[in-house]
Amino acid sequence: MGSTAKMNGCDSAFLKQKFDVDAYGPNLKILRTNDQVKELQTILRDKNTSRNDFKFYADRLIRLVIEESLNQLPFTESIVTTPTGRTYKGLKYQKGNCGVSIVRSGEVMEQGLRDCCRSIRIGKILIESDAETHEAKVVYAKFPQDIAERKVLLMYPIMSTGNTAKTAVTILKEHNVLEENIILSNIFSTPASVKSLLTKFPNLTILTSELHSVAPNHFGQKYFGTD
Amino acid sequence: MAAKIKLIDPPSSASSESDSTDKENAILNDVDVLEEEADHKNGSSTIDIITPIVAPRSSSKIINRQKMSVVNQSIKKTVSESVLTSQKRTIYTAGRPPWYNTAGQQVEPFVIGICGGSASGKTTVARLIIEELDVPWVTLLSMDSFYKGILNDEDKILAARSEYNFDHPDAFDFDLLKSTLHRLKEGKKVDVPIYNFVSHARESRTKTMYGANVVVFEGILAFHDPGVLKMLDMKIFVDTDADVRLARRLKRDIIQRGRDLDGVLKQYLKFVKPAFSHYIAPSMQHADIIVPRGGENTVAIGLIVQHVHSQLQQRGFALRESLVTLNKGQPLPGSLYILPVTPQIKGLHTFIRNKETARDEFVFYSQRLMRLVIEYALSLLPFKDVIVETPQGIPYRGKRCTADKICGVSILRAGETMEQAFSDVCKDTRIGKILIQTNRTTDEPELYYLRLPKDIKDYMVILMDATVATGAAAMMAIRVLLDHDVPEENILIVSLLMAESGVHTIAYAFPQVRIITTAVDPEINEKFYVIPGIGNFGDRYFGTEPDSSDIQRKGE
Repeated sequence: MGSTAKMNGCDSAFLKQKFDVDAYGPNLKILRTNDQVKELQTILRDKNTSRNDFKFYADRLIRLVIEESLNQLPFTESIVTTPTGRTYKGLKYQKGNCGVSIVRSGEVMEQGLRDCCRSIRIGKILIESDAETHEAKVVYAKFPQDIAERKVLLMYPIMSTGNTAKTAVTILKEHNVLEENIILSNIFSTPASVKSLLTKFPNLTILTSELHSVAPNHFGQKYFGTD
Repeated sequence: MAAKIKLIDPPSSASSESDSTDKENAILNDVDVLEEEADHKNGSSTIDIITPIVAPRSSSKIINRQKMSVVNQSIKKTVSESVLTSQKRTIYTAGRPPWYNTAGQQVEPFVIGICGGSASGKTTVARLIIEELDVPWVTLLSMDSFYKGILNDEDKILAARSEYNFDHPDAFDFDLLKSTLHRLKEGKKVDVPIYNFVSHARESRTKTMYGANVVVFEGILAFHDPGVLKMLDMKIFVDTDADVRLARRLKRDIIQRGRDLDGVLKQYLKFVKPAFSHYIAPSMQHADIIVPRGGENTVAIGLIVQHVHSQLQQRGFALRESLVTLNKGQPLPGSLYILPVTPQIKGLHTFIRNKETARDEFVFYSQRLMRLVIEYALSLLPFKDVIVETPQGIPYRGKRCTADKICGVSILRAGETMEQAFSDVCKDTRIGKILIQTNRTTDEPELYYLRLPKDIKDYMVILMDATVATGAAAMMAIRVLLDHDVPEENILIVSLLMAESGVHTIAYAFPQVRIITTAVDPEINEKFYVIPGIGNFGDRYFGTEPDSSDIQRKGE
């Protein structure tokens, strides 16, 4: 019975989250889900998943999240001629993008980005929370020089409180990056973190694969094997 | 119906009946020699179809008369016609056909027997019926495959002197014929012997045939054996005057084979004519329909086709005709899954469709697209709801795939390019390969090579081909899988780009096979490339374009 009760709790939480998704406005994007995506999420959640599997399936989900994040970038129409001599009305990705990963968990998403955009520039931010005040502090930041002119794909897989991401967005803005040019690429978020981020930065775009009240905080440790 | 029918002669076809390695000479239009109404006797139980006036010869209709002695012959119209018209299509005569009706029930094939004297036009009639029937799968079985051959020295001497009687029932292996027909009627795979007319022996290899919606069986002694007769659903006798048949034989044997008049006449009088009077003509009484003048008799063929159509419909065959006629603008089938279009996917398409794209970019962007389509395909596997324990201590409601065995099968060469993407998303999986090449002469797919995981029947199979145009290769590959007992619903065919007609073809033939692609283009050009398409995917990926075009140089 205990587990049923828990399940029901999950159910209602799930429904509530679903309802809430719309409430966050158009700047929250959720990866189009299907059984396959759900399975990847399940494997990452399952405490019995081996490290080897965890990394493999995390990389798969990351690839999907990155692909979807790239969909948030601007493009222009482009008409090309195919080898059969016909025209194809397609589109062209615009230049002037870059990635920024938040060390350390954000780095796991770099390869996925690299796999999609071979020569994209990638900056890094290291943020540590103060042991006493729990305040997030930027320890290190290295960006492409012209980051102010670029669209930024900010990579951070797990968002629990949103404090780290908030600090990262702040530092990007300090480097004159426009808020509307920042896309936060994420795998799991809590509703609270999304709410707090979008309240503070209403023009920020957040893309995630799942909104859930409990964040899988073991992600980085399990991925890197430091648990 | 302005259609050009082209039949390709298999190398072993060199029977005493019809020998046509040279197609030009083999054209023997019935109209040339036939103006009179045939006078024939028939039993009271038969239906006699006689057209009082010879149908006007259609100038656009050229029929190359050739012997359909083994399978793998095709009927193909001119390539210049649009592929989307009902007339432009391909009939497959090899491989396993979809003999399931729309309800998935196995249906017994309709067997048509065609009998008639030597050079009477059986083959032409058979071809025209198949042509008009417009059903996807037809198996052609010729009695010639069942010649016993020259087995002993005595026969060899006779054969050398042209004194071996090829027209006598003893020359045929009726037991094998019966068992073969029986298996075909059950829709099972059969190995049909290949008779070599040069060595007068069966070759060591055999031709694999499968049951079909329609099986056409033709031969001079098609109605000789009561056991064979029982298996025929419709019996057609092609009745052509003896003098016409002799004229054709003379023309053929003298002009094409360089035989002398005396020898041909001797053989005719000694074997062919007696065999006709003793065995063939009397078997006319078994016929349901007698067709005078052979293939030129369009009224008779029209009536036969009508009858077969109604029979097939009664049997539950959904004829392809309606589908092919209407497939343009028809709603796409429910078994088709198109990757939802996003800017990224559209952008990837723009790269790989652009003829100016250099090869390294072509490879890179097509691989990205492959990864996405494979991921999408995997989402169509069966899943169940599960609850897992999390390190955070709360249970998590998720999904698990219930297919524990998944394997990939690539259709060489272009399908192979997708193997990497498949391995990237599926751990420790097996990959099978099927090489299907298009025959340059017939434009038909041919199976060359096959390596599949053992026990593939227990697997969910992701069948991969980069592009699907007519769907002919994909259909052959699916048939191969079905032959290996993979359940139809366990097959997913995945490709980057498909033509609408290919989608319809696959969906029609194998309604339970799921079709996954990233885009469906409306047309196919005369080279069977998808329009607007991406050109020859394999050539562009592997850098084997025939001419040193810009693409190739840029790709270096």
